[in-house]
Amino acid sequence: MWIVVLIIGAALIIGGKIYQQYHRTERKKLLDENPTIVRVLLSLEPEALDDLFRLYRSQFGSGAARYARHTYRKWKTGEVHPSRKTFHRLAFHLPSVMNFDLKCEMLRALRREYCGQSHYELSVGFDDWKAALAPLIARLIERSYTAELPGEVEQKLTWLAGSDMQNAKAILSASEAQETRDAVASLQSEFHSLELLLAQPGAKRRIVHTLDLPLGTITLNIERSN
Amino acid sequence: MADDSEELAPTGQPLFPLRAEDIIDNAFQNLSPNQAREVSKKAADEALRLEVERRKASLRTDSAQQEIRNVIDNANLLDQRGGDYKIDSTFETASGTTSVQITRSKSTTLMVIIAVGGILLLLVAIALILLRH
Repeated sequence: MWIVVLIIGAALIIGGKIYQQYHRTERKKLLDENPTIVRVLLSLEPEALDDLFRLYRSQFGSGAARYARHTYRKWKTGEVHPSRKTFHRLAFHLPSVMNFDLKCEMLRALRREYCGQSHYELSVGFDDWKAALAPLIARLIERSYTAELPGEVEQKLTWLAGSDMQNAKAILSASEAQETRDAVASLQSEFHSLELLLAQPGAKRRIVHTLDLPLGTITLNIERSN
Repeated sequence: MADDSEELAPTGQPLFPLRAEDIIDNAFQNLSPNQAREVSKKAADEALRLEVERRKASLRTDSAQQEIRNVIDNANLLDQRGGDYKIDSTFETASGTTSVQITRSKSTTLMVIIAVGGILLLLVAIALILLRH
């Protein structure tokens, strides 16, 4: 009888510990996400970043803006974690007073971080590269229109749900799709040049081309055609 | 080489520059006049940004082609001189980054041939010894 009670007790204690640990990990994951969002929001192009700091200054004063300018590199590298107040200012307060252009740039940075992580690798020859690449390109172009930010990011950054952000998304999607098409158009002339390189007799040649696209990269291992 | 006229982008998505109007058409959704102005401006800015990126890409193409010519010339020169060599070159192109590696290693090939020949001879010798006994 005592043994049964002991076993049940031990099982309850172990179960409780596991449950506690799970919740601690989940909470930590949520807190860890804040620095990532701040890092992404600060990974703007220099002009947009200047606009952001100007807005920061007008909203929170020159002292806070000086500190933000001084510390943002450390936030980006993860050397210093932004405080909850900083996160709140950047992620919630500023977007509510931002112009459409700057919000678009922030959305672009978020999409690059959270939607652009796909990586593909293909072995292709000069005869078959178009056929091999076409389905993948089609998928990436389609992804420009269908890619969504993760639910937890959208839940945190409530300004993303505004109707103006739907327009921002439409503009950026069309632009990302066009960038993908432009890159592929360039690839056609690049293959002409690479074919010359691979056609030379003699030494062993290895060519690897990485195609940088807005929502992912494709690595092509290019082989000599038979 | 595949036919150049073959369309790589999906059907109905031709490889011509996107115009600001196309982006605006996609983006307009019951906008207030102020929003419509903002969207129009951003769409025009975006079309301009893409055009600038195309120009930059064109410059990268020119420089990549020069780099390829240099690599070919260097490889030809080293081929003429004879001996082993290795060329590693990485350059940015309009669409991404290309890495080229060219290696010529006659002595390694010779050593592999000698090693394989040696092993074969050894196997034949072992087989002959075993057959005699």
